[in-house]
Amino acid sequence: MQLTYLEAISDGLRCALREDDRVFLLGEDIGVMGGAFKVTAGLLDEFGPERVIDTPISEEMIVGGAVGAAIVGMRPICEMQFADFVACGFDQIVNVAGKLHYRLELAAPIVIRLPCGGGVSGGPYHSANPEAWFLHAPGLKVVAPSTAEDAKGLLLAALADPNPVIFMEHKGLYRRVRGEVPEGPYETPFEARTVRDGDDLVVITYGAMVHAAAAAIEQLDGASVRLLDLRSLEPLDEEAILAAARECSKVVIVDEANYTCAIGAQVSALIAERAFEDLDGPIIRVATPDVPIPFAPELERAVLPSVERIRAAITELLAY
Amino acid sequence: MSTLPTTGAAEGTREGPYLELPDRVSLYRFMALQRAVEERGLSLYKQGRVPGSYYDGRGQEATCVGATYALNAADTVCPLIRDMGAHLVRGTTPLAILAHYLGRAGGVGRGRDGNVHLGEASRGVVGMTSMLADMVVVAAGMALAFKLRGEPRCSLAFFGDGATSVGDWHEAVNFAAIERLPLILVLELNGYAYSTPSAAQFPVHPLARATAYGIHGEPVDGNDVEAVFEVTRQARERALAGEGPTLIAAKTMRMHGHGAHDDARYVPAELLAKWEARDPLARQRGRLVELGVDVAAIDAAVAEEVAAAAQAALAMPAPDAASATVGVYAASEPTPLGRGEAPWSGFCS
Amino acid sequence: MASDTRVDVLLPSLGISVVEGTIVRWRKQPGDAVVYEEPICDIATDKIESELPAPATGTLVEILVEEGETVDVGTAIAVVLTDQDRADAIAARQETVLDTAYGVPLAPGEPGAVSPVVARLAKDLGVDLAQVNGTGAGGRIRKQDVIAAADQDKVAARYEPPPPVALSHMRRSIGAHMKRSLDTAATVTSWIEVDFSAIERTRMEIGTTALPIVAKATLQTLGEFPDLNAWVDGERFTRHETVNLGIAVAIEGGLIVPVIRSAELLSVLELGSAIRELAGRARAGELAPDELADGTFTITNPGQFGTVMATPVISQPQVAILDVEAIVRRPVVVDDEIVVRSICILGLSWDHRALDGAIAARFLGALRRRLESWGAG
Repeated sequence: MQLTYLEAISDGLRCALREDDRVFLLGEDIGVMGGAFKVTAGLLDEFGPERVIDTPISEEMIVGGAVGAAIVGMRPICEMQFADFVACGFDQIVNVAGKLHYRLELAAPIVIRLPCGGGVSGGPYHSANPEAWFLHAPGLKVVAPSTAEDAKGLLLAALADPNPVIFMEHKGLYRRVRGEVPEGPYETPFEARTVRDGDDLVVITYGAMVHAAAAAIEQLDGASVRLLDLRSLEPLDEEAILAAARECSKVVIVDEANYTCAIGAQVSALIAERAFEDLDGPIIRVATPDVPIPFAPELERAVLPSVERIRAAITELLAY
Repeated sequence: MSTLPTTGAAEGTREGPYLELPDRVSLYRFMALQRAVEERGLSLYKQGRVPGSYYDGRGQEATCVGATYALNAADTVCPLIRDMGAHLVRGTTPLAILAHYLGRAGGVGRGRDGNVHLGEASRGVVGMTSMLADMVVVAAGMALAFKLRGEPRCSLAFFGDGATSVGDWHEAVNFAAIERLPLILVLELNGYAYSTPSAAQFPVHPLARATAYGIHGEPVDGNDVEAVFEVTRQARERALAGEGPTLIAAKTMRMHGHGAHDDARYVPAELLAKWEARDPLARQRGRLVELGVDVAAIDAAVAEEVAAAAQAALAMPAPDAASATVGVYAASEPTPLGRGEAPWSGFCS
Repeated sequence: MASDTRVDVLLPSLGISVVEGTIVRWRKQPGDAVVYEEPICDIATDKIESELPAPATGTLVEILVEEGETVDVGTAIAVVLTDQDRADAIAARQETVLDTAYGVPLAPGEPGAVSPVVARLAKDLGVDLAQVNGTGAGGRIRKQDVIAAADQDKVAARYEPPPPVALSHMRRSIGAHMKRSLDTAATVTSWIEVDFSAIERTRMEIGTTALPIVAKATLQTLGEFPDLNAWVDGERFTRHETVNLGIAVAIEGGLIVPVIRSAELLSVLELGSAIRELAGRARAGELAPDELADGTFTITNPGQFGTVMATPVISQPQVAILDVEAIVRRPVVVDDEIVVRSICILGLSWDHRALDGAIAARFLGALRRRLESWGAG
């Protein structure tokens, strides 16, 4: 079926709630209102208030409560209304969920959905891409779909995983991206995907930047540029990254997140460490500078990686 | 939703007092065991054999033993710093605890975490973090699951004055109150959070916190193990009846410093002397002696058990260094929390 | 993107009261490159004469005021097409891109420095980096350049010849002789087709191969063309009065040319015997040195193997060599009819230092007539 990215996530939640009694949702405004973006619209009606729980503004309770329910056998999917608010639940994610199995051999199979990303004039508190915080904390997994099909598949795979999984759903893609999505439950593996093939340079990215990079590559007449969609940030698909770096010898990494210690920094270090012998040029990163995301469209456009900036970086590195 | 537990015919229908003689002896024995284990641990720490820091709950044994004694096998418990007795009631052995302090492979924490950060998941005990209100949230989450599934189970969280100032505490209690979750909140009013006296922790009487959240609040003499048991038993009944959380404010005293590294010079000597006279073990011992129980024999058995455990723990191997990076992630279908021991005679197990 | 900008060169005021000026001399013409502040013309006013500096770098494309003309201050006198603005704009844009991309501007390192993959590929593919033309930034060698270079000499790079064997003494001396001959003589080869019907008939009658008959015919023809029976050595020409006929014999590992002295005295059958006998002793390695010396004309006969033409090498210091190739049944035209005849192509390599093509051709023509009419009358 043809679904938008948002509809695919909804459909994934619906499949999960139908297939498994242990699944329930917690979050702010997800029930009666159907969610700030309408991702959970209709679910309260279909499944009732014991499966779709509206909580007070209590991010620590949402996450920690999910952990508590999970360790006695439930499979909760919780939501932070905007990824930016994950900072209010940070302690439960990093200190409780992340460290639980290592310390106590107790698994916390929870999913935390974070509507992330900019380009909507959301300003500093509604535009963040905070995924790097969670790669840095042990015991967590992080995924970031760029297509409708992957959005549903990665969500269901995250649910099946016995570990805490953070699901970065890009709000800019909710209605902008549409695709063919299989009916019923299926899982997408936590692996990278080659979006298009090429031999002279590889662009490595994820989330909304996959679409920006694809547009930039389209504008290069006939250049042989590969595009790799990471899809899974933790675990990083090191094999796919290194294979692409070795085969193409030139790498451009695009981060919508702030430059310093974004995922691209880890990917860059990995390539420099393990594929140095195959590089024919420096690893180039195109990233948002280390600023809070500004609200005015002119300012926001100036900081987020644009198609032009990505294309310029590719062009320059190709010619190097 | 059922108000009667699925295990045990007698529970909840009996008239008081709810403790048989064996229970009263048991309560004493668990407290004596906690004190003996913690004294032994402190001694090992002072000998330099326990790495890191060392914490104990001297003087607070009645609160954690009495409260945990009221829990059934399927209930879950989140002990905090002073609550080693809770672990012992649920069935964790002195050997496992001492080996844990020593950081041995066979200790509860397997060397991954130390001192009071332990909890045997197989016995329904969730080990604490250092963020002192974290586990109140987790306990509320467990209670949420029990309610959603209509199970006659409750969860209990221990915490001190300090934890009630952390944001997490309020998020948990607020949510548990709104949802009327089967949660038992045991506030150990032990006078000090590290060096902060209770007066600087509460702008209102602690039980006003219960009123503020619209939940039942119950004060209790935290050094009377039988009183603590009774108050908790009622709280559990209330929880299973769908009446929501109870905040039990147990008045007691932290007799040692925050940890072995803290000489607690900020605690007035008179205060300690006053509470020494109210020692919870002495209180219960007095009752048993009056009932003709050979307490000395219990003490001797406890001493022997802990001595043997210490010796065995010291002989256990350290964890394999190669295992340090293993087990960050769960690899397979997770095992939920298990069932602990429920020694109260009021439960048929 | 900004297009090239046309900049007007205006007549400046060279003084407060100056209102007009005269173009004295244009230093640049349309099409010339100009550099910012470089003088492009000389101007005279009633106060001073001065150079006019170019207002931009680019190309002078149009002169609007000719030498000798006087115009008002501020008049456009020429147009410069500049890429200055464009260059600046591009630089500015790149700076922005690179800055906000948080990358370091890509500056390829020292000349000769190569990236790890280039060094490794060059080694693996056997490419000499000194021979590779770099198409990367600043002329650096890119991975694609190494691969392209390797593809070009793929065959050479991959072919591993077997270990060479030393040439034999005989081979080397034959080689030296042939080389010296070709270096010395102005060797030309002429060919003629001969109908060998008469020869075939004769040889079957008398029981020989064709060679002694051809030899006899050659000797007789040499009598008519004695200049072909000679030695030439630098500036000296020796015409011999007898023919010491060399017959090339293929032996194991090479060839040898035994000489029949005064061969014109022998009959066909005697020639046949002599050839057979010498060839036999040649193959057995039993020839004496004086049997190899003093040849004045040579016949070579490789035709037994089927080849039809060759360019034989003259045996120094002789001036000619006759090559007899295979006798082949061929359709030929006789009296406007197609008939099948035994045809043999005779080749004569001759030294242009000693004679010219006409003589060689006439010799061959005479030899043919002799051979085609052999045995008749």
